[in-house]
Amino acid sequence: MSQSLTPSRRRPGRLLAALAISAGLIGAACGGDDGGTSTETTAGAGTETTAAGGTETTAAATTVPPPTTEAGIEPVAGGKVIMGIEADTSNPWRPAEMLCAIACHQVIRNIYDSLTMPNDEGSWSPYLAESVTPNDDFTVWTITARDGVTFHDGTPFDGAAIADNLTRGQAGITTGAILRSVTDVSVDPADPMSAVVTVSASWAAFPFALIGQVGYMASPAWLAASDAETTLKTAPVGTGPFVYADYKPNELFRMTKNPDYWNAPYPYLDELEFRPISDGLNRRDALSSGTIDMLHTGNGQNIAEYRVSDEVNYTEITNNGETGYTLLHVTQEGSPLQDRRVRCALAYATDNPALNETIGASVNELANGPFSPTQIGYLEDSGFPMEQDMAMAQQLIAEYKAEFPGPISLALATTQDQTNLTIAQFQQQWWIEAGIDEVTIDQIDQASYILTAAFGDFQVFQWRNHGGFDLDQQYFWWHSTAAADVGALALNFGRIKDPALDALLDENRASDDPARKQEIAEEVNRLFATECYNLWGSYSTWGIASKTNVQPPTGFELPDGKNVVFGAGISGVFYAMTVWVEP
Amino acid sequence: MSYVLRRLAQTLFVVVAVTFLTSIALRLMPGGEQVLIGLTTGPGATPEQAAAKVKELGLDRPLLVQYFSWMGDFVTGSWGNTWQTNQAIATEVKRAMPTSLYLMVYGQFLALLLAIPTAVWSAYRQNTRFDRMASTSAFGMLSLPNFIVAPILVLIFSVTWKIFPFPSFYRSLWDAPVEHFKAFALPSVTIAIPLYAGYMRLLRADMIASLQSDFITTARAKGVSTPRLLFVHGLRPSLFSLVTSAAVNIGALMGGVVIVEQFFQLNGMGRLTVESIFRREYPTVQYAVVILALIYISVNFFVDLAYAWIDPRVRASRALG
Repeated sequence: MSQSLTPSRRRPGRLLAALAISAGLIGAACGGDDGGTSTETTAGAGTETTAAGGTETTAAATTVPPPTTEAGIEPVAGGKVIMGIEADTSNPWRPAEMLCAIACHQVIRNIYDSLTMPNDEGSWSPYLAESVTPNDDFTVWTITARDGVTFHDGTPFDGAAIADNLTRGQAGITTGAILRSVTDVSVDPADPMSAVVTVSASWAAFPFALIGQVGYMASPAWLAASDAETTLKTAPVGTGPFVYADYKPNELFRMTKNPDYWNAPYPYLDELEFRPISDGLNRRDALSSGTIDMLHTGNGQNIAEYRVSDEVNYTEITNNGETGYTLLHVTQEGSPLQDRRVRCALAYATDNPALNETIGASVNELANGPFSPTQIGYLEDSGFPMEQDMAMAQQLIAEYKAEFPGPISLALATTQDQTNLTIAQFQQQWWIEAGIDEVTIDQIDQASYILTAAFGDFQVFQWRNHGGFDLDQQYFWWHSTAAADVGALALNFGRIKDPALDALLDENRASDDPARKQEIAEEVNRLFATECYNLWGSYSTWGIASKTNVQPPTGFELPDGKNVVFGAGISGVFYAMTVWVEP
Repeated sequence: MSYVLRRLAQTLFVVVAVTFLTSIALRLMPGGEQVLIGLTTGPGATPEQAAAKVKELGLDRPLLVQYFSWMGDFVTGSWGNTWQTNQAIATEVKRAMPTSLYLMVYGQFLALLLAIPTAVWSAYRQNTRFDRMASTSAFGMLSLPNFIVAPILVLIFSVTWKIFPFPSFYRSLWDAPVEHFKAFALPSVTIAIPLYAGYMRLLRADMIASLQSDFITTARAKGVSTPRLLFVHGLRPSLFSLVTSAAVNIGALMGGVVIVEQFFQLNGMGRLTVESIFRREYPTVQYAVVILALIYISVNFFVDLAYAWIDPRVRASRALG
């Protein structure tokens, strides 16, 4: 599939075609997200949010490839770019220990390559791995390292390196959750360049899990050294296009060109520096003032401005996007949200189009389910209410109250971001009108926000998640085995325990039949709409703006000849190695 | 000698009290240990993994044991690493201190540079147009919160005129002096504006009182020039309030301009402390607090010494015991 279009804002007036690729990988769950966190969560308003997580899953329906450089224009090597990102991860940068959100992946994917990458056919391609091959029933996978690749410290990349990383991944908190069904990882006795992964049950979508955090390969020598000297943990060593140079938490992450990068001619830049600027408007001003050269943003107002601006180069990422939504805790003891009527009443009472227009500048597309248009399982009509129907909402509440007399109180958690607070206030107003007797708004500091969800210590929660390529990437967000009790950490934040949903997720995991996987994903979509487990807001759009002499990122050809898609499974993440600066 | 010992004892008491109270306050934060463990391990930790992390961080020990262990580390200089980023805490503090020092020094310098002559002349020309303008503008500046001033300055000087960078990424004074001063210009002005207003009002009031003193009348009668009259004879006895206020502000500026630091992305002590609180980095917060407390105490000590220099009567009374 050939790539077309020009992302560059050289031509005034139009933005790039949206890149709608489905195969998103969600990076590993970004738990605590460092405090830097950065991320804001929104329901419908297109700002940054957290959560991450993920595994990659199957491909989605149609994919629109990332932009390419204009024909006749040759990228120029050299130069430095400073990019403003939405948060600082403030993590140890070891793959099994990272708590990664979008900004984290944007940084670290330049140091680490992943074993596989999403392609424009809605599937995966080997990238750092030469091949990822299953046995007949997808219970044993052989991952072969690409020949001739070394880590930045000279350590060879081979089967032992793969085995070491995946074994550590099993012990990691977040990566371990993704690799829970892996029972053994070892070097192939017949081939030192290969590692063999054994899983307890058929896992056809396993290669998608290798696109994100689980598939990041770090130097075993560095991992061992940083085991002993923990301060080394923040100086990552990978095989990627850039080499670690400097990291100051909450200030910068600097990297320099890897002159021996195996995927020539990349990278173009000599130096790349990331600066966390958590406030979206400040980030915009930083670009305007020239302090930074490039930024990413999920802020609807900023995106709307950039779309019509001639002062920047601008491109967008909409493929495999995450969905902004309101998360409901559906199995909390004594909570009215255990009842489907109350949940759906909230959905009917919410005027999502108004929110999207007022707060999100209508930048994002309204969501009717967890899957964006380019993701597998997307439905034009899932059955989820897309328009406000206050009469229906009031009827449902009345029915509930007839059966369970008494006042209904809800606590709505949001961040300290003003935009999210405004959304919450709108929701509060509508839900009270629907018949909820009391809706309190709890503003939680960013550092604690994701943990509040992880501990299940909430009723209603603004959130953003579920980018991906395959339904399997959502497994731990929705399967009942990931729904620990309140007070214990769990990735199934809403504590959904639905046998029907479990069965669908389990079947999808074991299936390699694209048609059946499509059906399963659509069934899941309809199930969510019927049960109103979440209140869908809008699908995320990420904008990448840069100075006019900084060429925006593009796609590139993968080793197997297919083309990569933007996002790499994590909404909003692009490939900085394709960025270049006009002299 | 007894004075020195007394001051040392006071210092020790203040440090222990402040850090112990901080230690308690941190452990009373919402979410408690659970949030801390979650921030450190991520949301998928099993109970066993969480328990292991608690043990690793020493949080399973009684509070007093934890506190004295920390105190021992502080005294011996073994400050350890941050829990989440594994950065040496001493390094983090050393990185933050210069930023706060520069902000404090530049902010104070700008404020005093403008406040002193304005106040002196305003007092000398009391109730004239200049005095009224100076006083009115000072009221206005006092009313403007820094989170209003900062964006306005950025809009004009960074976004529109592109003179100063935004955010103010830190640059070393020795490596890149021009970039350094450009980076600190807007944050320093933001801090200086309310300081200037306060100092100006304070000094003006004291100067008015001083200028009505007999010794000023005598000096004038003896033909002392107006500048000397104002800035030598009049200013010196009027400095007590200003010195006290400026001294108090040193401590406040070192740790209290977190809004300015956050807005301009300068990683000073205020931002380090606040971020560490959010991240539940208990040791880092305690180290930051003890350093700020020591700064306050030191500054107060030097201010006491400065009083003696400013007013010889203080020297004399101390000499008399």
